Amino acid sequence: MSLNLTETWEHTLDALRTWARINSPWAIHYNSGSCNGCDIEILATLTPRYDLERFGVKLQGSPRHADVLICTGPVTLQSRDRLKRIYEQMPEPKFVVAVGACAISGGAFQVCYNVVGHIDEVIPVNAYIPGCPPRPEAIIDGMVKLLQSLQPQPEVMVS
Amino acid sequence: MEIIQPIITLLFFPAGLFVMGNGLAYLWVDRKLVAQYQNRIGPRWFQPLADVVKLLSKEEIVPTGIEAWLFNGLPLLALACALTAAVYVPLVGLQPAWSFQGDLIVTVYLLSVVTMSLALAGANTANRFSLIGAVRTLTQLFSYEAPFMLALLGPALVAGSWQISTINAFTGQHWLILTQPIGCVVALVGLMGKLELPPFDAPEAETEIVKGALTEYGGRGLALFQLAKAVELVVGLTLIAAFYLGGIGNPIEFFVKTLAILLVLAGLQSLFARFRIEQTAKWWRFAALLLLVQWLIIALLGGKTL
Repeated sequence: MSLNLTETWEHTLDALRTWARINSPWAIHYNSGSCNGCDIEILATLTPRYDLERFGVKLQGSPRHADVLICTGPVTLQSRDRLKRIYEQMPEPKFVVAVGACAISGGAFQVCYNVVGHIDEVIPVNAYIPGCPPRPEAIIDGMVKLLQSLQPQPEVMVS
Repeated sequence: MEIIQPIITLLFFPAGLFVMGNGLAYLWVDRKLVAQYQNRIGPRWFQPLADVVKLLSKEEIVPTGIEAWLFNGLPLLALACALTAAVYVPLVGLQPAWSFQGDLIVTVYLLSVVTMSLALAGANTANRFSLIGAVRTLTQLFSYEAPFMLALLGPALVAGSWQISTINAFTGQHWLILTQPIGCVVALVGLMGKLELPPFDAPEAETEIVKGALTEYGGRGLALFQLAKAVELVVGLTLIAAFYLGGIGNPIEFFVKTLAILLVLAGLQSLFARFRIEQTAKWWRFAALLLLVQWLIIALLGGKTL
């Protein structure tokens, strides 16, 4: 019985943690070599018109406070180490969102001499938001889908 | 039974869990009001709670090259001091849980310890943003502390007591906002300075120094500091409502008066842009002088008659 109680307690705590994580994603924004188009759209997403605070999203300056790293642009040779460093400074659990065509595939900068490649060649990415640049609605949609993916899936009965 | 009563008072009601919940709710009211003033929808009602729970469940990173016990202990000290201060004020219109002659001074200094530990936490890192934040926090502390204290001592002078419950009983018959308007304004703005709300948020200016003293804190430390700020908000609002807005006698009065002050605070927050740190210091010199003039008038008119 006591074992069962501990299990229930653990389960409740897990549910509480997941609920809090889904409802309070603090973001940090890093441009690793983008043309600034996506960055303008991200800033537009955070303005009162779209009001991401409805979902609890807050833009943080310090990687220590952030849960979601919003990256734009291809990774240049210069910014590769910085991107890695920012990612490693974030406490677990952390998520990465790649915004824009360049972040997903290198886009227009694919074969440039100073470009390493797309974001997930350097750090693991959880969500991709395509577009050149993506509209604020698309960015909100991507964020919401990322948060939905944190929701534990109902367990499938195996017979 | 005699042991159970103080434990309930300390842990659940009115200090402890209740005041933390109340603080988080007031934080939400504040954020929602600011959002509404900016033509936004604003966060959902459980947002501050979700933030704190999320931060508590995050990984704890202790940076190298610092005193680890200070890094972990200062958030605890801040929260403990804020909660202790909550014991001495008339929360929810009840009599303060503990009360003695001179508890006003103790309360004000306990609230200062919250800021002091914030500054110490900033100074205890190798991060340059934290260091600048710590310096600014201390500068702001020195500039608002004297006027805030003077503003709270005005009612004490008139009521002829240093005890919060006695002053509260006295202000129940006298609306001191009418006889000491300068003190009321300075106390309000002093509370904003204490909580580092805009326009006095130079110590944690996001656009300049990331998050000031709290830059290196993630997870538990940040959550505890946020809880301490939330409790400080409730205690400060209660003090101002009790001293200047005709005292707090029952729960309805408590909620109506503190929320009215919060409405004004949120309005001021969205009206003004951030002051630079030396502008803040200049403002407070002016406020302290005005308060001294008001004190002189009170003293000349003979205290009790006001």
